[in-house]
Amino acid sequence: MRRNTRLALVATTAAAALTVSACGGGFDQQSSAQQNTGGKAKLTILIGSSGDAETNAVKDAAKKWSDKSGNTAEVVVASDLAQQLGQGFAGGTPPDVFYADAGRIGDFAKAGNLYAYGDKVQDAGFLDSLAQTFTYDGKLQCAPKDYSTLALVINTDLWAKAGLTDADIPKDWAGLEAVSKKLTSGNVTGLVISGEWDRIGAFAKQAGGWIVSDDGKTATADTPEMKAGLDEVQKMLKSGSMKYAKQVDAGWGGEAIGKGKAAMTIEGNWIRGALSKDFPNIKAKVVELPAGPAGKGTLVFSNCWGIAAKSKNQAAAVDLVKSMIATDQQLAFAKAFGVMPSTTEGAQKFAETYPDDAAFAKGGEYGQGPVNIPGFDPVKAAFNSNLEQLASKDTKAVLADLQKNTEAATKGQ
Amino acid sequence: MRRRTGWTMLAGYAVLVVFAAIYLYPFLIQIATSFKTDSQAAATPLSLAPNPLDLGTWKRIFGLTGDSSVPILGWFANSVLITVVVTAGRVFFDSLAGYALSRMRFRGRGFLFAAVLAVMSVPGVALLIPKFLMVTYLGIYDTYAAMILPLLVDAAGVFIMKQFFDSVPVSVEEAARIDGAGLFRTFWSVVLPMARPALITLTILSFQGSWNEFTHFLVTTQSPEHKTLVTGLASLASGELGAGSQFPLKMGAALLTTIPVAILFFSFQRYFVRGANEGGVKG
Amino acid sequence: MHMAARARSRRPGGGIRGREGIAGWVFTAPMIVVLGVFLFIPVLMALYVSLTSWNGNGSPFAGGQNATFVGLDNYSALFTRDGLTRDNFMQSLGNNFWYVVFVVPLQTATSFFLALVVSNRFLKGKSFFRTAFYFPSVTSSIAISVVFLFLFQNSGAVNALLALVGIDGPAWFSDSRGLFHIAFGAFGVDNPAWASADILGRSIWEWISGPSVAMCVVIGLAIWTTTGTFMLLFLAALQDLPVEVDEAAMLDGVGPWQKLRHITLPMIKPTLFLVITLGLIGTWQVFDQIYVMGKGAPAGTTLTPAYLSYQESFRSLKYGTGAAMAFIVFVIIVLLTWFQRWLMSEDRGTTRRTRRAAGVAVGLEQGTHAGGPG
Repeated sequence: MRRNTRLALVATTAAAALTVSACGGGFDQQSSAQQNTGGKAKLTILIGSSGDAETNAVKDAAKKWSDKSGNTAEVVVASDLAQQLGQGFAGGTPPDVFYADAGRIGDFAKAGNLYAYGDKVQDAGFLDSLAQTFTYDGKLQCAPKDYSTLALVINTDLWAKAGLTDADIPKDWAGLEAVSKKLTSGNVTGLVISGEWDRIGAFAKQAGGWIVSDDGKTATADTPEMKAGLDEVQKMLKSGSMKYAKQVDAGWGGEAIGKGKAAMTIEGNWIRGALSKDFPNIKAKVVELPAGPAGKGTLVFSNCWGIAAKSKNQAAAVDLVKSMIATDQQLAFAKAFGVMPSTTEGAQKFAETYPDDAAFAKGGEYGQGPVNIPGFDPVKAAFNSNLEQLASKDTKAVLADLQKNTEAATKGQ
Repeated sequence: MRRRTGWTMLAGYAVLVVFAAIYLYPFLIQIATSFKTDSQAAATPLSLAPNPLDLGTWKRIFGLTGDSSVPILGWFANSVLITVVVTAGRVFFDSLAGYALSRMRFRGRGFLFAAVLAVMSVPGVALLIPKFLMVTYLGIYDTYAAMILPLLVDAAGVFIMKQFFDSVPVSVEEAARIDGAGLFRTFWSVVLPMARPALITLTILSFQGSWNEFTHFLVTTQSPEHKTLVTGLASLASGELGAGSQFPLKMGAALLTTIPVAILFFSFQRYFVRGANEGGVKG
Repeated sequence: MHMAARARSRRPGGGIRGREGIAGWVFTAPMIVVLGVFLFIPVLMALYVSLTSWNGNGSPFAGGQNATFVGLDNYSALFTRDGLTRDNFMQSLGNNFWYVVFVVPLQTATSFFLALVVSNRFLKGKSFFRTAFYFPSVTSSIAISVVFLFLFQNSGAVNALLALVGIDGPAWFSDSRGLFHIAFGAFGVDNPAWASADILGRSIWEWISGPSVAMCVVIGLAIWTTTGTFMLLFLAALQDLPVEVDEAAMLDGVGPWQKLRHITLPMIKPTLFLVITLGLIGTWQVFDQIYVMGKGAPAGTTLTPAYLSYQESFRSLKYGTGAAMAFIVFVIIVLLTWFQRWLMSEDRGTTRRTRRAAGVAVGLEQGTHAGGPG
């Protein structure tokens, strides 16, 4: 009786295992991406939108291309772009075209998720800093779609109320400290920024330091220049003339200035759209960030149009991307949600059409792109944790930690 | 002696009322905030009386404004679909299996039951990655099949039904069987009606479990059209859908998530209590 | 019930038994298929993945560059290899430890206290109070977390309430200071030399930080949500207490505290054991609340192993490490449950049947919500 029971169970398990392995094979379906030849292609575009303006602009552009090329392109707005891309890659059904953040290019390229079509769009004339940010392993992995930089955003009403004029616009750190102090009174803090590397990094760049070397192969986090940048931020935090957005109950610098809790903030192009939509009463002026000991410095943010290695419509996807990076299309995006075109030609036209945002455009010349080595995400998260409490930490220890972790990442661990 | 008891009673009631307030207040705040505007919610967080009463959030939820960035009704439809199918499946399959494990003698029954117990003891934390792996392996990632199939039978439900059948005398079925009814007919027309209290408990627990389910949908789907109320609310709350705090919208969505279970709870309270005592409640 | 079972097994079966054999398998087939395919086999698959360094590309079983077999390296790296992964894992273990230490005793005590009060014979409105306390338990943990996010904002309801009594509430979700660090700070102790030794990558000072202020919100949420369920369990146990014992105690002139300690508590031992075990199992799996309330922020002080396992796999694309973390937590839970069971049965010698019944009830409670309760 017992032996029969065991036999029966073994038989059942074996049958189940066979069935599962027969039905399965979902993983193997992904190994080769057979390209669809001829006929109409149906593409999916996954974007991480900053709001309705951006979504609608991309949808319009996709429709224009669909009408012209006879293919269809569906735009999907991600609620969590990083997670959805990760699951899409693993699940075998990635979107054909997607926003790829510069900081993740290394991760994606290393895992073989990207179709490196850079050679097909090389003559578009991308800005040098952008081309460099999206080059991994010597190849241009994808076409930069736009860029934004950080600049100093000033609430002109509070500025005037404090008795300041154009001549007082800070040109260096000392100037910044002085005006911040003057603007801090009552409920208003002079300068409020999001407490993360994507803002604080500008100070480090102004001091001449950066986390990795230009070729991305060496960690240069623990240097006197980086320390000078962090020390300056710490100094202003301790003096009370600068606060983090969380400390004033704001989600980001734009909300702080919009709610009247900050007189100045350091933010990127997107702040224009946000202010006009959520806080239309705030009058803001944008100027270049003050220079540090090593000169001017700001951060450049960019996304590119990534094409999945597993996409079955790569040719159509490249065509779609080409239409998206055309100068007039990029200028249309600029008009809709304030980003700047990624080509030299486009950037020039942008500076002419929007003189008020010239400060953002200028930043492209001396800005620093994000770190794109694979495996940097958790390092950045840990660094941001430390930056959140910068006021009470030892900057040397923080940088030593960063150096250690970055080195581990560059070694590919 | 009586006066001391009187003061003690008063103190006891006071404590109870304070506790009850702590337990109920968040729900009241949920309702109140969904009727405030964004700035009002920020300005008067404690107040339970929105002034003025703003229906903007509810209009947005029911799709009466043009804003389609947060398709809450779509999430609601998904939740309803999944919950109905999973609950029906669980009630049917769990009672089938529970009956078999309790009443039918077949080789391997003991082993099967032990396996069910073992499966029940695997903590949910260890199941996130396995579920993702299997769903991808079968090629059903990001489909309704992936959301529903794995939830159709749950070991705890089988256990509850088996416990119930163990406690019911066998005589009625015996009579039906001697009359010549087949096993399935006996099950369907004689046993199931007898098992009404347990079935109701199982229905309620399954409804609650599948309506409130989060991690399973998180790892098996990703596209916006498969979002349920719970996963949609989670992405809304982690700041992924639009800028600004939008608390009235979040409170409204949370309220919508809570209402069906609340209605079920108030109508079938004693079954919830019984379910909790049988050990079949969310830990 | 047992009598009936014994009677049943002695009855002759014959033809019915034969049919029953196949029917039995047919009736349980759906259960076998679903549980086997979607629970049992996947766990084995994940076990294999935890022995590889799969990055999400292609099949994890194909080996090759994307899924190299690394044996137990993932597991040992979590404990011995100095780096960010270990740091995060150790921090998550520490955070969860403090979470357990605060939640389990508090939720057990609160639910017992509420059960005592609600079961009082003289109480009016019993059913209202019972409903009020139990209601939070049936709602979605995500919905509740969102409500708490709103209540605990810097200028939210809780801080407004505290302001009414003159307390300046902290910035709940941005405050990463540990409770015990704050307490030590009141005595002027901050990162002293005696606490600088390094254990598994963190200093003793970091290990003894206690839960951060942000974590305290999650702790409060957990207690608020689960006391209802456990209150019901205690209520049922209290109602089962024989009335004669109660009356005898009153006749003997036993005071209420003594009655509690010497009569009530020992008689509800099994339920106490059940509640504590369920608490231990649930608290080591907290995920939903962390996902909504900051995903580990601030400064990683609300990071838990369950969430870290998810993050490591689905965001950092290191599925091997993530799976290893999940299995380590699985082992921790199993060990804790065995230890607790041993501890409580050794002390007072509960009967074997009680222990077995309690063990099954534990599995039942915890398995009902396979997605991971809070």
